[in-house]
Amino acid sequence: MNSKIQNDIKELVSKQVITPEIALNIETYYTEKHSGSPNRLFTLFAIFGSALIGMGIILILAHNWDDLPRAIKTLFAFLSLVIGQCLVGYTILKKKGTAWKEASGTFLFFAVGSSIALVSQIYNIPGDLSSYLLAWVLLCAPLVYIVKSNVLGLLHIVFSTYYAIVYGYSFLSASNTPWLYLILIFMILPYYALLLKHKRNANITSIFNWILPLSLVVVLGTFFTQNDEIGFLMYFTLFGLLYNIGKLPFFNNQKLRRNGYVILGSLGTILILLTLSFEEIAGDVFEKNIFVNSQDMSISIILFILTMAILIYSHLKKWTVNYNLFRYVFVIFTAMFFISYRYNIMPALLVNMLVLALGVMVVKTGVDKFHFGISNYGMLIIVSLIFCRFFDTDISFILRGLLFVAVGIGFFLTNYIMLKKQKNLKNKV
Amino acid sequence: MKTKHIFIVFILVALVQLIVPAQMILNKESVIKQGVAYKFKTQPVDPNDPFRGKYIVLNFDIRSFKTSDSLWTRNDPVYVYLKTDSLGFATIDNVSKVELESSKKDFFIAKVDHYSSYTDKVHIDLPFNRYYMEETKAYKAEVAVRDAQRDTLPNNTYALVYVKAGETVLNDVVINEISIKDYVEEANDE
Repeated sequence: MNSKIQNDIKELVSKQVITPEIALNIETYYTEKHSGSPNRLFTLFAIFGSALIGMGIILILAHNWDDLPRAIKTLFAFLSLVIGQCLVGYTILKKKGTAWKEASGTFLFFAVGSSIALVSQIYNIPGDLSSYLLAWVLLCAPLVYIVKSNVLGLLHIVFSTYYAIVYGYSFLSASNTPWLYLILIFMILPYYALLLKHKRNANITSIFNWILPLSLVVVLGTFFTQNDEIGFLMYFTLFGLLYNIGKLPFFNNQKLRRNGYVILGSLGTILILLTLSFEEIAGDVFEKNIFVNSQDMSISIILFILTMAILIYSHLKKWTVNYNLFRYVFVIFTAMFFISYRYNIMPALLVNMLVLALGVMVVKTGVDKFHFGISNYGMLIIVSLIFCRFFDTDISFILRGLLFVAVGIGFFLTNYIMLKKQKNLKNKV
Repeated sequence: MKTKHIFIVFILVALVQLIVPAQMILNKESVIKQGVAYKFKTQPVDPNDPFRGKYIVLNFDIRSFKTSDSLWTRNDPVYVYLKTDSLGFATIDNVSKVELESSKKDFFIAKVDHYSSYTDKVHIDLPFNRYYMEETKAYKAEVAVRDAQRDTLPNNTYALVYVKAGETVLNDVVINEISIKDYVEEANDE
């Protein structure tokens, strides 16, 4: 039990707020509540232990012991694999607990990797890193559902992402599109859905809530083909999609830090807009002719339709009572991509206005909710915008200085007013 | 689902996990046992793979072939038919987009790198250009080969490759008729 609670209980008993009997009840309640946690810690250590051993085996084998005859090397290739399989088989048959499942599953995952690595070393199979990773992930994918292991699910996402990065981001040769990555991610979705359904408040679920959108953000760049300009549109729509997913009541009703979708979506949106708020960059991106028939365009359209579908569904379910510009900004952005501009400065001007509007809106939401984090995030957006404008405008130093002072005062005032309001409310209660 | 059913599914997955590497081994063993050995002149350089360790990349002398066909797409399969030159090294007899039923010559399947319309040559990615080595030896191997080429006859380094019905196994890299593993050790001792 938490020592702070213990001290509080002692204080409450000594001040005769509660009787010693109640104190005892409270203590038993907390002890029982936390009786599961040593087990959880053990699970964690077991996972780290088996992951480290598994990776260690891979590294030791990667030394390429060329003094050993081929037969012995082959034996080693299968030894760790069979040991891993026996452990997992035992776990399933004996219906072992979480610690066993996670640890044996993790070990088997790395054992599979080491066995195919060793075979390709022995026979000098040239297959590059991406095809090796793909074989590895595919061979282990069913284990996620058989063992029902969370770590295997995470490893699946991480290694699928690794595969897509190696396959898609090539600096020397022509770029490839890792379409198989999409299939790999679809394979894990049913497991994720089960987690959301049965363990929505578990820590592991919030790790999934972060790692899945993060993986999508990292990999989307591999789907670019030729024009970088449309990459902005692709990413912007993806961030719009993530934000709208995060705003579904299912995710939105949870703590903000559990909601990777909203945070990534919002940060991504702002970062792209800030980049495009520079006149030169915006001019380049918005003025280019767009190849309607490209793969980049098709992906942008698919993402747009998906985001639209979620938005319309939310509207029908009346989940969008509070107006939130972040949810709709992708529509404005897409429209801006297809308008032709009479003046070169127009797109940059529009983007600047968008960022400002978003910043002000976030501050307002923060103030309404009494959430200091949100309101300060909003002001940070506004400050970043002003900061960016200092690089490409000829405003006099006096004016710039005054602007900074004004925003600084704004920071203080907003936080001060909010604190005061909060105090008043508490006093009333 | 009952434990029994889950276990049966697991046994199936475990079997696949065993069969995939086993199949790779059997396949390669059959090429070594029944295939024909060819010597490909080469030069090694040394990169790194995070999971499989150090290897040397082999740059082969025969990487392109003059052909009248100019329609080659990158990464498409290409059937490479082999013959031996007067010194006993492998050279390309012919290349084709499909398997030539009439040809009795040994062949392997590679990938098209690119076609140069300037030289009328199709450039080929050979499927045996990685040779895994003990981590301490890979870089030394690269240096040793460079030195060997400086002081003796040019191109005294070759890869010994077994070829059987389209499949290949890179069995050894040989410098001055000594396996590169031993060559590196000897060069070290000197």
